[in-house]
Amino acid sequence: MRQALILVVLAFLPGIGQALYFRDKVSWQSPVPASEMVTVAQARAWGRNAIWVDARPDVEFERDHVSGAVPLNEDRWNELLPRFLATWSPEKRVVVYCSSQSCNASREVARRLRHEAQLKNVFVLQGGWEEWLEKK
Amino acid sequence: MKSASSILSFQSSTIPRFVRRIAEFIVGGIFIYAGVIKALDPIRFASDIDNYKILPWTISVRLAFYLPWLEIFCGLALILRRLYLGGLSILAALISVFVIATVAAKVRGLDITCGCFGHASKNWNFSTHLGLDLVLFGLVISLLCACGRNFTTTER
Repeated sequence: MRQALILVVLAFLPGIGQALYFRDKVSWQSPVPASEMVTVAQARAWGRNAIWVDARPDVEFERDHVSGAVPLNEDRWNELLPRFLATWSPEKRVVVYCSSQSCNASREVARRLRHEAQLKNVFVLQGGWEEWLEKK
Repeated sequence: MKSASSILSFQSSTIPRFVRRIAEFIVGGIFIYAGVIKALDPIRFASDIDNYKILPWTISVRLAFYLPWLEIFCGLALILRRLYLGGLSILAALISVFVIATVAAKVRGLDITCGCFGHASKNWNFSTHLGLDLVLFGLVISLLCACGRNFTTTER
């Protein structure tokens, strides 16, 4: 018991150090800050100024997707990213969605677009594909 | 009066010493690897924990900075045989929680990526995930039992 307690306490030290290092890079209160979320209605209102990005697996994208959406999932990230970038322009807003509110693919794709592709104006669609279907 | 560490020494056990050492290196190595992979990308790991929909994000994100290091320290405890029994007990508890969380997610129909080994485990299905957890759990319990047997034998 004492040994377990020592290990539990020891692990806190690098954990706290790392958390301090990442303190400005992490959203501590919610997975996606409210400023980076967008509702279906808001995204629709952007019209042609929005690029829809489908973060779901290829099979689901082929079954159905938002009209004009570009597939960009993590399984084929390196292959699909150049295709997405070919449609992207700085003045456009990027709306990433996955299957539902509970999926996290859209968050991950949005995060990678911001950090790896250095894009701004990247948003995650609230409720994902399910919500889009409901509001269709 | 012998100290606890000397009582828990591996001098007489039904499992040969080299087999135990191999098991310790396998389990310890797996947890060190898993911990390092997750410690390198804690934000992604936070997202993986959140995907199970068991804990609120505020806890998931804090756990994501802590759990990888706990795994690394427990893995090292097994390989270096320091704080050995503590490391084994924590690993047994951690694996139990992983198994329960995985089964609970499956029952609730959640499409989860376990996040156990970063990108390497992204496409693992439920059976693979559960299978590895159970094998690891079996190894940890065997090591705990061997440890317990030594304890009893030495006390007599």
